Amino acid sequence: MLSIENLKAKIDEKEILKGLNLDIKPGEVHAIMGPNGSGKSTLSNILSGKKGYEINGKVTFDGENLLELETEERAHKGIFLAFQYPMEIPGVNTNTFLKTSINAIKKARGEKELDAIEFLKLIKEKSAELKFDEKILNRQLNVGFSGGEKKKNEILQMSILNPKLSILDETDSGLDIDALRIVSEGVNSLRNKNNSFLIITHYQRLLDYIKPDFVHVLKNGQIIKSGDFELAKELEKVGYEDFN
Amino acid sequence: MQNELKLNFDKIISLNNFSDSQKKIKQENFNNYFEKGLPNKRNEDWKFSDINQIISKNFDNLNFIVDQNKIFEEKDFPLEFEHNKISFVDGKLYDFDFKHEAKDKILVDQNLDLDDTVYQNTLLNLNSAFLTSVSKITIKKGYNVKKPLILFNYLSDGLKSSAINSRVDINLEDDSSLCVVNFLNENSEKNFINFRQKIKIGENSILKNYSLDSNTSENIKYFNKDINLSKNSHLEYFILSEGSKFIKQDINCNLDDEYGSIALNGIINLENEKHHEIKTVINHKKENCKSYQLIKSVLNDKSKGIYQGKIFVSPEAQKTDGYQLSRALLLNESVEFNAKPELEIYADDVKCSHGSTSGNIDENSIFYLMSRGLSYSESKKLLTNGFLNEVIEKISNEDVKKLVKKLSGINV
Repeated sequence: MLSIENLKAKIDEKEILKGLNLDIKPGEVHAIMGPNGSGKSTLSNILSGKKGYEINGKVTFDGENLLELETEERAHKGIFLAFQYPMEIPGVNTNTFLKTSINAIKKARGEKELDAIEFLKLIKEKSAELKFDEKILNRQLNVGFSGGEKKKNEILQMSILNPKLSILDETDSGLDIDALRIVSEGVNSLRNKNNSFLIITHYQRLLDYIKPDFVHVLKNGQIIKSGDFELAKELEKVGYEDFN
Repeated sequence: MQNELKLNFDKIISLNNFSDSQKKIKQENFNNYFEKGLPNKRNEDWKFSDINQIISKNFDNLNFIVDQNKIFEEKDFPLEFEHNKISFVDGKLYDFDFKHEAKDKILVDQNLDLDDTVYQNTLLNLNSAFLTSVSKITIKKGYNVKKPLILFNYLSDGLKSSAINSRVDINLEDDSSLCVVNFLNENSEKNFINFRQKIKIGENSILKNYSLDSNTSENIKYFNKDINLSKNSHLEYFILSEGSKFIKQDINCNLDDEYGSIALNGIINLENEKHHEIKTVINHKKENCKSYQLIKSVLNDKSKGIYQGKIFVSPEAQKTDGYQLSRALLLNESVEFNAKPELEIYADDVKCSHGSTSGNIDENSIFYLMSRGLSYSESKKLLTNGFLNEVIEKISNEDVKKLVKKLSGINV
């Protein structure tokens, strides 16, 4: 599904990714762990099309050259980024935004757009699954949301848009244990043989709930080691500093 | 243009049956205008909008006499809510309908009671000199007008290069309330519109006034408004400024007695080469009054927006609470926004603040929305609409709020 070959990225002449390789097949859950400044957020930004990087290397998504696609085209093709710091959008009602988003994607895919009733039904169903207070959806998008509410809102969006590849950028940071469980349940409920996940995190804790198929260690712009869930446990013991 | 103007004025005087005192006021105002001409940028109040230059650039000649006997057919303007209305054609009272209200509680009347004043502002000189009538609306003591009153201002078809002067006075007697929407329904060619309103809000009375400039038009407009608030009265004022080629709204509010309060909000939403200004003066004259102002602007293409806001606190006006904020989004490098906030405070126990920000649209927010499938232009539209919607949400009359959302296309 996603194949990254020798990906290099620079921002303001500073090299952040230094030849990264990664292959994600349908249905797989990959976790990338790494210390601060190792390039984790850069990777998620580049995959979802953020501007401002000088990029070399090859990234294909379902056989297509991902790097040539605009941000919104990647969303249309099924890539979703759950933001580490979701943006606050004043004056925009969360429900209106969700409806605009899902219909933009449906329209691009040539599918029928949801009408108000179909949309509300979907929202009700997904909010209940994620134990998300629907009242919050009548507020301005992310404005005045607590850290946990913002992250849960990201997972709600993910669950509504049902992407092929979900990238979670440190979604666990700043979450309490209950919110962490809800976020993990959200991810687990979307897991099937077609959907894949790339979970970026500092800690093992989230992975305890999600149980990834693969764990990679990102250090200094490269994946230095890959393994299964055991690798995450080992990291937690040794720490990033001494891990080689 | 000057000789022509003098001929126009003499004609107005000879065609109408003005009393001697009216003639005298008119003549004095005319003379002041004739001597000084239109305001220009050397005048501090007109620093950002040189109306003298704007008028001479847009008109070779202006006709100050408008045919009063034109046959006019009122066009239906669809409104989705029950309302009262007064219609004006080319600035003159045409018709009114208060079918939702008690009969003897609202008076609509015309006369020519001009203030016995020679104004410093030469646009007001012009207005006084060329008015042929003043329309007066009175809401009787204790009456709460049930449905919004729409003031439809029509310009007759084919009207061009004319100067339209109009004046409407609204008097809310004590313990009354009114919601009024000012609306210009124009399909004329380029004209100069000089509208004046004088409003008095009686004790314990509430006025909601919504001034909507939403129709795209080539007209050049100046709106001047004086509002006086009595004890314990409230004014909610909202401006939608987006349609005209040029408009300057001059709003002067006087908190004449204790416990008066004002919420004055507005949006300036411009494209092409439009040039809009909102200028406010809030006079805190007595103790315990509040004023709150929020103006948000979005400027596109080569447009120009201006907000000049002054809060004046007199020595008697202790415990004043005054607030003013201007925020502008500048969507490209060819636009211009000027903000001139002023506080002039002569009392020592007051709470007053002002702020002004202007900046670009946030690219991180754009990225967030695009990552959810919206295109760049859709994302930008959603962000700017959200930005402006925060002001629209402050409209307390739900019918009018819906109307504003519909007229402006801001529905987020």
